[in-house]
Amino acid sequence: MLTNWLYVGLFIIVALVLPAVTIIVPRFIAPKKPNRIKVDVYECGIETVGEAWVQFKVQYYIFALVFLVFDIETVFLYPWAVAFDKLPLFAVMEGVLFIALLLAGLVYLWRKGVLEWA
Amino acid sequence: MTDTTLVAEHPLLERFPEGVTPDERKGYEGFIVAADRLVEFATALRDEFGYDYLSSVTGVDYLPDGKMEVVYHAYKSTGGGALVFKVQVPRENPVVPSLVSVYPGADFQEREAWDLLGIRFEGHPNLKRILMWEGFAGHPLRKDWKEAYFEEEKKPFGSRWPGGAVHRAEDENPFGKNVVYPPDFDPEKWTPVGDEALYAGLREFKKDDDLKTEQVVVNLGPQHPSTHGVFRMVVTLDGETVVRLEPVMGYLHRNHEKIGERNTYLMNIPFTDRLDYLSSMSNNWGYVQAVEKLLGDKIQVPERAEYLRVIMAEFTRIVNHIFAIGTLLNDLGAYFTPMLYALEERELILDIFEAVSGSRMMCNYFRFGGVARDLPPGVYEKMRDLVFERLPRKIDELDRYLTENEVVRARCEGVGVLTPEEAIAFSAAGPVLRASGVPYDVRRADPYGIYDRFEFDVAVRYHGDVYDRYLIRLDEIRQSIRILQQALDQLPEGDVIFGSPKYSMRVPAGEAYGRVEGPKGELGFYVVSDGSANPWRYHVRAPSFINLTALSRMCEGDKVADAIIILGSIDIVLGETDR
Amino acid sequence: MGDPFALISQWFTNLLLGWGLSESAATVIRLLVGAVILATISMLTVVVLIWVERKLAGRLQDRPGPNRAGKFGLLQPIADMIKIFTKEIVTPAQADKTIFHLAPVVFIASVLLMWVVIPFTATVMGANLNVAVLYVVAVGAFGVVAVLMAGWSSNNKFALLGAFRAVAQMVSYEVPMVLALMVPVLLARSMGLTDIVNAQSVWFIVAAPIAAVIFLITSMAEVGRAPFDLLEAESEIVAGYHTEYSGMEFGMFYVAEFLHVWTIGALLGTLFLGGWRGPGAETYPLLGILYFYIKTFIGYFIVTWIRLSLPRIRIDQMLAFNWKFLTPLILVVLIFTAILDKVLEVYAVSGWGHALSMLALNVVIGWATVQALKKVEKSRQRRRPEFPPRPVAVAPKSE
Repeated sequence: MLTNWLYVGLFIIVALVLPAVTIIVPRFIAPKKPNRIKVDVYECGIETVGEAWVQFKVQYYIFALVFLVFDIETVFLYPWAVAFDKLPLFAVMEGVLFIALLLAGLVYLWRKGVLEWA
Repeated sequence: MTDTTLVAEHPLLERFPEGVTPDERKGYEGFIVAADRLVEFATALRDEFGYDYLSSVTGVDYLPDGKMEVVYHAYKSTGGGALVFKVQVPRENPVVPSLVSVYPGADFQEREAWDLLGIRFEGHPNLKRILMWEGFAGHPLRKDWKEAYFEEEKKPFGSRWPGGAVHRAEDENPFGKNVVYPPDFDPEKWTPVGDEALYAGLREFKKDDDLKTEQVVVNLGPQHPSTHGVFRMVVTLDGETVVRLEPVMGYLHRNHEKIGERNTYLMNIPFTDRLDYLSSMSNNWGYVQAVEKLLGDKIQVPERAEYLRVIMAEFTRIVNHIFAIGTLLNDLGAYFTPMLYALEERELILDIFEAVSGSRMMCNYFRFGGVARDLPPGVYEKMRDLVFERLPRKIDELDRYLTENEVVRARCEGVGVLTPEEAIAFSAAGPVLRASGVPYDVRRADPYGIYDRFEFDVAVRYHGDVYDRYLIRLDEIRQSIRILQQALDQLPEGDVIFGSPKYSMRVPAGEAYGRVEGPKGELGFYVVSDGSANPWRYHVRAPSFINLTALSRMCEGDKVADAIIILGSIDIVLGETDR
Repeated sequence: MGDPFALISQWFTNLLLGWGLSESAATVIRLLVGAVILATISMLTVVVLIWVERKLAGRLQDRPGPNRAGKFGLLQPIADMIKIFTKEIVTPAQADKTIFHLAPVVFIASVLLMWVVIPFTATVMGANLNVAVLYVVAVGAFGVVAVLMAGWSSNNKFALLGAFRAVAQMVSYEVPMVLALMVPVLLARSMGLTDIVNAQSVWFIVAAPIAAVIFLITSMAEVGRAPFDLLEAESEIVAGYHTEYSGMEFGMFYVAEFLHVWTIGALLGTLFLGGWRGPGAETYPLLGILYFYIKTFIGYFIVTWIRLSLPRIRIDQMLAFNWKFLTPLILVVLIFTAILDKVLEVYAVSGWGHALSMLALNVVIGWATVQALKKVEKSRQRRRPEFPPRPVAVAPKSE
């Protein structure tokens, strides 16, 4: 098992180095002639107006909260699924109840109008 | 064509005993309205006389008389001919009251008249230049305005004809020596001034919200994949929602009208091809029709030519609508597949255009009094095969693949709604107007050519959204096929042009407004002749341009993605918009 | 013919040991070499994929596709590679440079890392993790971080819009994807991909078709392929998060997208289509690789086909589709799958009997869903005001 994780660790290095090398190579063979217009930010050929880094209205931030809840709870379900064999019927029903609660929560959110695009 | 044959007894004169007089110049029609009565007159015209659709607003510079004239063409949305009215003001510092409050569709057209002719419209909410850039010196359509490479007042230029020596004016007069700047002006340091005013107008719109967020002003275009050319929309975004939208155009402007006024009458026919370059045949027809009206009895179009005109115009409509549907689907994000399927049919039709005119897109096929050439052998059979066999099948196929597609419906239904009242008020034309439930088709409402001989329905849809504007194009293709089938069956033998083709012709002095139902809407040409070999005034009522008046109204409150497809559903071609 | 891969690995280890390296050093080097080979092969696959996709797009769009460079345009990707290697990399002056240059690397790394756990055959795979499914989900989410990095650092409004859309998309589609992945985990009682493949004496697509479809849809959304390509929506926000990228840095995003789609195919094949399993694969591992690639291609083809057929949906519709349709559906499927699975276990039904019972369950749920949708469709008044008809405008009869 440890070998496997060692492999993952090594692969992370490789996966970062390999594309980095591919990006660095053109730095030596590609031309580099920047000018003011070329390095300007693209906005359809017009000089950009105002800042891009602003307090942007993200209409789906509430979805992000819902996502957090759901994702974490789902991850907790995985061990239950893996150990399904060893679970007595009662434990299975507990898990099912848990999922049903998630579903109920979703329906509640839906009813509350959270899932509407603001 | 007009129902103002009895101008002298028109009830309008009773309603306005003062300030309104019939236009009694030879070859002219309509009424001359005093500038101070204009708004009152227009309101009465709209509300009491039913002329609710303002088709065209333009100006004419009568330099010799020292007058500037604004010409309005109003129609009833229930059909019938035009009511022409004019306002005459002195040439120096002309001021005319704006009609935007009565006819919102006058918005862009008045801006254009201000931009190109320097007529100031008092009361216009946003009187800025529209085709030229802010900071441009002068008003180019004025007769005393000369461009940088000015050579001669009229074509053909003496240097090139009849001698035939070809040279370029810019070689004799190289760049830099031909322009005079004001003394304190340095072109290198000049920065555009128009944008600041534009952005300021877009920024001032703020709404209260419990969350502190900022709105962003974004330029969509001119270099944007879905603005169908160099069209620019400046939008204020609140998240993904479009709060405000302002169209900016003129990037493809070449002052078509100025060039047209310098050309001879015949020279303008190929020039109209370059307006809406997807439907050159229809453009030809509009222009030829206006000049034929001026010529009056001096010219009669032979029967066969009339039929050929209808055939070519209807094929053009199919080409254009197929293209419009294809690009709309592209705007929707359907990675080119529907577009390429649609284009296959277009290519087959362009084959026919190439066979008859020698060119696939810039056809230059119509002539005063007929068309340029007869059909070459084999083309008739090819057309029959297309119209009776292939096209109906392929249109059904397109319909089957796209119309009931869930994503297409979800994206298009209820988006960009334009009510019938708004559509009429904004002078929207063509598919945009008819998709809003107004069954107005120039071919029926004010027939030209031989359209009164054919059986076809005016396509109309009643929701006014993007989906209906898509559907109506399919409907119109089907109606065009119907007309084509009848026309091909009835096509008579005979001449295709009246008399022998002439290079130059005498056109009697006067004015004429010729309009055809182009694929994109009502395409009008207003031509004023002073009796010489070149038109005194040559104005194009471009449907792509005027349909854009309603764009902001349709887009506001929708999402960015919607704004793109709304623009796509209007179906503009920048060659025509910017002229 | 035994397992050639095991033989090579053995030979290589022996070679290293023969050079006098310690056991652990040899292992590290062997793993490192394996990692380099796997990553390189994955990236080179893209070269072939680009040709396949363009040819496929050509055929689906009624045109030949690339056919100039080499026979059938086979050399086209090579030409493209040469071109993109020699193109200038333009960095916008106002960008946040570090993050800007880091983003494409992280992006492609996130896709490459998925290949670690995918079994090519019974023995050939990067690492046989016991939490492979979670690992895949976690690593995949990393890509979204890269997209956000790219969009934010560009200091470009279109890129920013694209990045925010990407986050919305991830935030949404991650939930049903994780839930859909739980179905094969539950059926196989393991999160290891090898175990899941081994458990598929009957392919899981039979037992869990709805989960398979939902997995396919959600992973398409994760990659951002049409109809979910909102994050780079060409017709709206120009190129979305990678608007400002050029040259090889853009190339990395491009490669990563193709590779990601291919990875979806691989995951679909592994989780639902039996992975490398097939007649004779146990004895001839090379055959297993062939089966694996064929199955991967099936998923890849479906994704490409959909991309070339459908228009893009809008962002609010995308979120609604996820939260109001996919998530409740997969929750229901999960509940009934768990119950039925336990019941079948109690009655000791396995193999085809088990699979067919599950299939029946899926058919019932699917049928009920369709009925419910039809009902909703009928009751839903599409919000389209209808204008009253007017008489057709006609010219008055001549006066």
